[in-house]
Amino acid sequence: MKEKIAKEPFRFYTSSLLVEITGKIAYHLKDFIKILKEIDVSSIFYHIHHALREYSFAPGQYSNDFARWAEEGLEEGSLAERLASINIRDFTDLEALRAKLVEIVEDHLKKAVEIRKAAPGREFYFLRNIEIITPTPYEVQTLKEFTSALDRVGMRSLYYHFFDARLRLGRKTNDFSDWIQHSLGEEEMARKIDNLDPYFITMDQLKYKIIAICMGKEI
Amino acid sequence: MHGQRNLILGKVKMAPKITLSDYAKIIRLQNLEEIRLLAEKLQGKTVKMVNSTAVGGGVAEMLHRTVPLFNELGLNVKWEVIKGSGSFFNVTKSFHNALHGKEEEISDEMLKVYQEANEENAKEMSFDEEFIVIHDPQPAALIRAKEKSSAKWIWRCHIDTSHPQPRIWDFLVKYINKYDASIFSAPSFAKELPIPQYMIYPAIDPFAEKNRELSEKEINSVLDKFGIPNDKPIVTQISRFDYLKDPLGVLETYHLVKRSTDCRFIYAGGTASDDPESAKVLHELQDKASQEKDFHILLLPPFSDFEVNAIQRASSIILQKSLREGFGLTVTEALWKAKPVVAMAVGGIPLQIIHNFTGILVHSIEGAAYQIRYLLNNPKVAKMLGEYGKEHVREKFLLTRNLRNYLLLLVTLEHPGENIIQI
Repeated sequence: MKEKIAKEPFRFYTSSLLVEITGKIAYHLKDFIKILKEIDVSSIFYHIHHALREYSFAPGQYSNDFARWAEEGLEEGSLAERLASINIRDFTDLEALRAKLVEIVEDHLKKAVEIRKAAPGREFYFLRNIEIITPTPYEVQTLKEFTSALDRVGMRSLYYHFFDARLRLGRKTNDFSDWIQHSLGEEEMARKIDNLDPYFITMDQLKYKIIAICMGKEI
Repeated sequence: MHGQRNLILGKVKMAPKITLSDYAKIIRLQNLEEIRLLAEKLQGKTVKMVNSTAVGGGVAEMLHRTVPLFNELGLNVKWEVIKGSGSFFNVTKSFHNALHGKEEEISDEMLKVYQEANEENAKEMSFDEEFIVIHDPQPAALIRAKEKSSAKWIWRCHIDTSHPQPRIWDFLVKYINKYDASIFSAPSFAKELPIPQYMIYPAIDPFAEKNRELSEKEINSVLDKFGIPNDKPIVTQISRFDYLKDPLGVLETYHLVKRSTDCRFIYAGGTASDDPESAKVLHELQDKASQEKDFHILLLPPFSDFEVNAIQRASSIILQKSLREGFGLTVTEALWKAKPVVAMAVGGIPLQIIHNFTGILVHSIEGAAYQIRYLLNNPKVAKMLGEYGKEHVREKFLLTRNLRNYLLLLVTLEHPGENIIQI
């Protein structure tokens, strides 16, 4: 059977983050929420997202920096659990994500009997990132080319197209599903890829699940 | 000032060449490809690295390895070393201590020595490159040459400046503020500055003598050399003999562990010639441990990287019981060897050890002893922590990551004010 040629080619990109120190430090939750409300959204992006990029070798072991600080810096277990359970795939813009974080922390503060101070050295340092996006040499027009290229690109490329895309596109999907649906007309395949839960599998596993779906295999 | 008239700038002879293809055996191939993609956008860019020594110390080690790699990637990177008299380096040693928070008497004369040495060096040097990277405080005042240069100037601070003596910081910050950007190793080391502060973690070289793979024979040769039987699990701390590394706390930890779990402890390290207290610390530890046949104290001479490597690899657990720590590269080195690490949550250690994931963080002697007992009795957990710790280092703390971050920084400086840069 002749392979379907996409209406538009798909170019794989990759993104890298340079981390900038903002100089803003929270010693307890009141500081934290004040800064959280004002800080550049790229800081929220960084603290929520970077663990997914950095710890893909052990999925699910590390949720996000805010949850980790609540757990280890403040020993606020319930707050840590609520912050860790935020599903970033539910958010298509960072302001909405900021609002959710603020809501969780404010709710916790309302019920708190004391405002705990982080131990010296365990303060929260707000960082932000500068994202540098580079095209890879891989541009594809068929599913076969797509799966072959996907197998070769790095984790950062996968991350860029699968996680970052929601914020970039402002809608609840990823670049792969978007291209497969709109350029190849494979709606069901696009939906299956979008339904993958990437949080408790490694990036390699995610990659191979996407490839398996494209090849029509059961996963 | 005296002794500053015959300044000769050092052109540095590079270490035996390790190429990117060597790193391809260690990091993911795709990560290497991504580094090459970034470097493609910076082909031919001229960069000058400047520091104060060609040999000895982490900065020189790092530059020996990274400069050839930058050039292999197609950038044009040079490395120059400033020269100075003994009095200049005595002054900068005092600066170094004061920036670390140690009480130091910094006189006006010392500030003058520093300024004059930098001026002399600046006269001898050219700054025609597109990027100038100045490492640490010793050459920081070279920034005065910026007026005659069109380069972007970057100050790379490798030391922990979280609690500096105000006099020295106030003096240096006047220079630092003139740079286009700064780099710190951890968020807590940074200060409030009007220039951007980027975070680049220190990195280890997997091919260095301290980190390279060793054979069983090599490891055993070192244990034999020090007369340490390989008959029971070994718990090791590699540190200088310094109260801040808590050697007596390590001994107490040993006592607590030994009550229930048989093992050996090794405390291995050197004494620093510029730290008169270290000999006292060593003697105190030797005295207190004199009856303990399973507590081994090894005074290592300088350049004992091979021995350190072998001792770490012979160990079942690495302990870092420090009361204060900079970034803690001995922890990084242990993690790279896939060793479970039990460490105090101080300095840069929590950046490397995520509790119960890439190692164990503790806060007390009792906590350290408890966790060591736990890991000695649960080797599967210890193995998993070691493996995750190694992956963490592979991703974040190897020289190739450092290389990538520098490339990102150069790209960023060419796109001022942009948060998302498409190249």
